[in-house]
Amino acid sequence: MIWVIIICCGLATFAARFLPLSGILPAELPKPAQQAMKFVPVAVLVPIILSGIFVSADSQIELVGNMRIYAALIAGVVAVKTRNVIFTIITGLVCLWALEFLF
Amino acid sequence: MKTSIPTSSSAISEFKAGLLEELPLQAGVLPFGMVYGILGIESGMSALETFMLSSLLFAGASQIVFTQLVSAATPALIIITSIAAINARHMLYATSMHRYIGHLPLGWRIVLAYLLTDEAYAVSIKRYVNAPHNRYMHYHLLGSGLLLFIVWQCSTLAGIVLGTAIPKELALGFAIPLSFMAIVIPLLTSKPQIITALSAAVIALSCQSLPWNSWLIVSAIGGIAAGMMADRWSGDRT
Repeated sequence: MIWVIIICCGLATFAARFLPLSGILPAELPKPAQQAMKFVPVAVLVPIILSGIFVSADSQIELVGNMRIYAALIAGVVAVKTRNVIFTIITGLVCLWALEFLF
Repeated sequence: MKTSIPTSSSAISEFKAGLLEELPLQAGVLPFGMVYGILGIESGMSALETFMLSSLLFAGASQIVFTQLVSAATPALIIITSIAAINARHMLYATSMHRYIGHLPLGWRIVLAYLLTDEAYAVSIKRYVNAPHNRYMHYHLLGSGLLLFIVWQCSTLAGIVLGTAIPKELALGFAIPLSFMAIVIPLLTSKPQIITALSAAVIALSCQSLPWNSWLIVSAIGGIAAGMMADRWSGDRT
């Protein structure tokens, strides 16, 4: 079953990359579609970020004693200042380890 | 911008330029691919499934989401819809590439479409827009795309091998929201994008109890709709 899902996801991804180059679709996407796609990265990634920070393994929202929140805040500052993926990851992980060790 | 073909430019030099310009981005791709490989194994997927996902999807953010949805026993249709939504942005890349590579034979278009990732697009579109055109310039995208492909497969493999050796206490899964933060924060430059982020955030947190992990797709659609409305009302074009 998982292979069927993998192949369908692969086909959907390739279709997104190939269809505009295939000559089947018009060379320009319709305006509303173009506009909608501008918001896709933020609309998809923000929920993933928040669930990674706030939601525990048993899908409950965890606010008290959740060190990921503080680690993410510090890493967020680094992300704003440096815009560097690696610095952000390292800061966040090290802060998380330190906070979990201390508290 | 369009000038005659410079004598020095050839297929090989375009290919090399693509490779070299893509190279610095690999500092971010390498750890990302390793984290993906580790998470794939942690999510209960086999080594082969984890590895093949990297070549069949070849789209990092969506592969990570895939592992998380699989480990949460999400129904097939929700997984496929979520992945299709996340990767829909590639249509924008392909559309903007059309005027530079749309004339090529079908085989070339299939290969270049397959290699059209965020990082390869970012590097090669810059060359197409800023440098003089020539008849070999599709080799630039071949170079940037191929380098990314090789690094992505190798780092996935490294993650798979390391996966079993890395203790869960290190909470490496936390690297995912962190790396996405570094991607999203620079995008929040206009009011509609910020409204998209806030709406998606509120919906995502309030819909956590919805069945089948559908909070992901519901909050994405809500965020996009909010962004489009904000776009229309503010007349702010970005």
